[in-house]
Amino acid sequence: MNNTINIQPLAQIDDVSKIFHDATHNAIILNKVSFKIYPGELVLVLGPSGSGKSTFLTILAGLQPPSDGQVLLFGKELHTYNDQELQQLRAQHIGFIFQTFQLIEALTALENILLVMQFSSIRRKTPRDRAMDLLKQFGILHLANAYPKTMSQGEKQRVAIARALANKAELLIADEPTGSLSSQQGMEIVKLLHNEAKLDHRGVVIASHDQRIAQYADRVLYLHDGVLTDKQEV
Amino acid sequence: MYAIKTLFEQPFRFLLTALGIAFCIVLVLFLLGIYRGVAIGSVEYVRKSNADLWVLQKHATNILRSTSILRSGHRQALEEIQGIDKVDPVVFILGALELPIGPKTVYFTGYDEESGHGGPPSLHSGRNITADREIVLDHSFAAKYKIKIGDTVHVKNDTLTVVGLSKGTNMFVIQYAFISLTEAYRIIGFAGIASCYLVKLKSGVTQDSIKNIVQRNLPDVVIYDQNTFLKNNIMELESGILPLLFFIAFLSCILLTSILSLILSINVLERRKDFAIMKAIGAPRGFISRTVLFQAFLMAFSGLAIALIFFFPLIKLADYLSPEVSIMTSIDQIAIVAGGVLIISLLSSIFPNLKLRKIYPMEVFK
Repeated sequence: MNNTINIQPLAQIDDVSKIFHDATHNAIILNKVSFKIYPGELVLVLGPSGSGKSTFLTILAGLQPPSDGQVLLFGKELHTYNDQELQQLRAQHIGFIFQTFQLIEALTALENILLVMQFSSIRRKTPRDRAMDLLKQFGILHLANAYPKTMSQGEKQRVAIARALANKAELLIADEPTGSLSSQQGMEIVKLLHNEAKLDHRGVVIASHDQRIAQYADRVLYLHDGVLTDKQEV
Repeated sequence: MYAIKTLFEQPFRFLLTALGIAFCIVLVLFLLGIYRGVAIGSVEYVRKSNADLWVLQKHATNILRSTSILRSGHRQALEEIQGIDKVDPVVFILGALELPIGPKTVYFTGYDEESGHGGPPSLHSGRNITADREIVLDHSFAAKYKIKIGDTVHVKNDTLTVVGLSKGTNMFVIQYAFISLTEAYRIIGFAGIASCYLVKLKSGVTQDSIKNIVQRNLPDVVIYDQNTFLKNNIMELESGILPLLFFIAFLSCILLTSILSLILSINVLERRKDFAIMKAIGAPRGFISRTVLFQAFLMAFSGLAIALIFFFPLIKLADYLSPEVSIMTSIDQIAIVAGGVLIISLLSSIFPNLKLRKIYPMEVFK
């Protein structure tokens, strides 16, 4: 990534460990992990179930602090953000995409997108127009007034991506985005995320166990037993 | 948007909750209405007496729950005091009217039918008594026992003709019945006594000066001005039935808060995933709390609206089924209940909001 050397990373974690304590032992979920993501970059973090991918993503998104190490989000140390700043950070700068989509079932596609716009302190004059543009961009304008339960899995994930981009997030964090989709649908979604990285200069981090995503990634990292490397274990 | 949609997603549950709330509110409105009815019925007689001063036997403070017996000599002594224009005796007797269904207790009030002082505070229908062996009954008492103007009722060996029906004379547990002094004396078996004297002063005479003279000349009586005596009677009323009514109203409010809090908590738990998603994608802390609070307001005020729709027809039904239960409501009382509903909404959202705190955004990554 020579073209990003002089650009500030969107998120950076250095020597981060996450240890969960219980009565009998300590479970090391992440072990001295270091990572950077730049604008315009799509990074794939591959790892099997239980390798610590979700924990890695939640720390990267500022949802939980590390046990040890440093986390920099948009150039500022995680522990210096107060609760309100972190909430605004997630609402305005970070978009989330989940394996099971996590759409709010009681709301239509349009309302799911409008809801997240409400969370941002940026007040848009025409939030509805912005939401409709996003639905159009992802080819699901006809689903604006449809509820998630009436949509296919692929359609749900497109709505979820539209929601993640509602506030023009610079960093997209995707946790197993293809996990609930067919092979074809999964690759379509990855292409969409790739386009977001390249055309709109967003940073995209995908955590998955799906090797096929690697063809769209600028970098592929491997997470195994809490250790992040750029070499696949054999 | 979210608050309304999720609430109306289960319309039957919403309706049941609103009806439960409405039931509690109707109960509170009924209790307040009964209190107001009792309060007016119990003190309206004093309020509209048109007396400047009330003279009773020493230690008596009111006419609701104290015994006072004064001699006719007291009247003469009062009439001799300069500045007093008129002294009217009133005799109160707890006694029974003999009705076809059996004896029914009333609060006989014997007064001088010629002067009219000490008679009914106002008439519902008919006229005041103008002669002996006539009676004016409280209209709710008459309605309960289906007594009409022109009917006769019996007291001891006397037959009295009902000539009028009064209002503002229903004390809930007992009702006034106005008779002549002569009849009152026949009931108790002897004459020459009064429960109290209503004193009217000549113009320009101060109440304090007369009170001082009366206290000096008649040490075995107590004398009150109209306002003090009215306050005494209200205090007596409030120390009796009021605490009970307010305790029941308080229990209803607790019940209402519990219903609302329970439903909101269930809603929060059922929507746990939604709230975790919202937290993960950046919902401000206040947004989710306001969602719960808004739902509390929506349910509580829907309950209030239903309660008000049913309350007034229910008053009419209660009046038909049990006329002696005088329910009187006012805009003030409804405003107080609406204020109470607002406070209950706030209180009932506390527990669900505490539950919300234990929903973590990381849950959506599972």
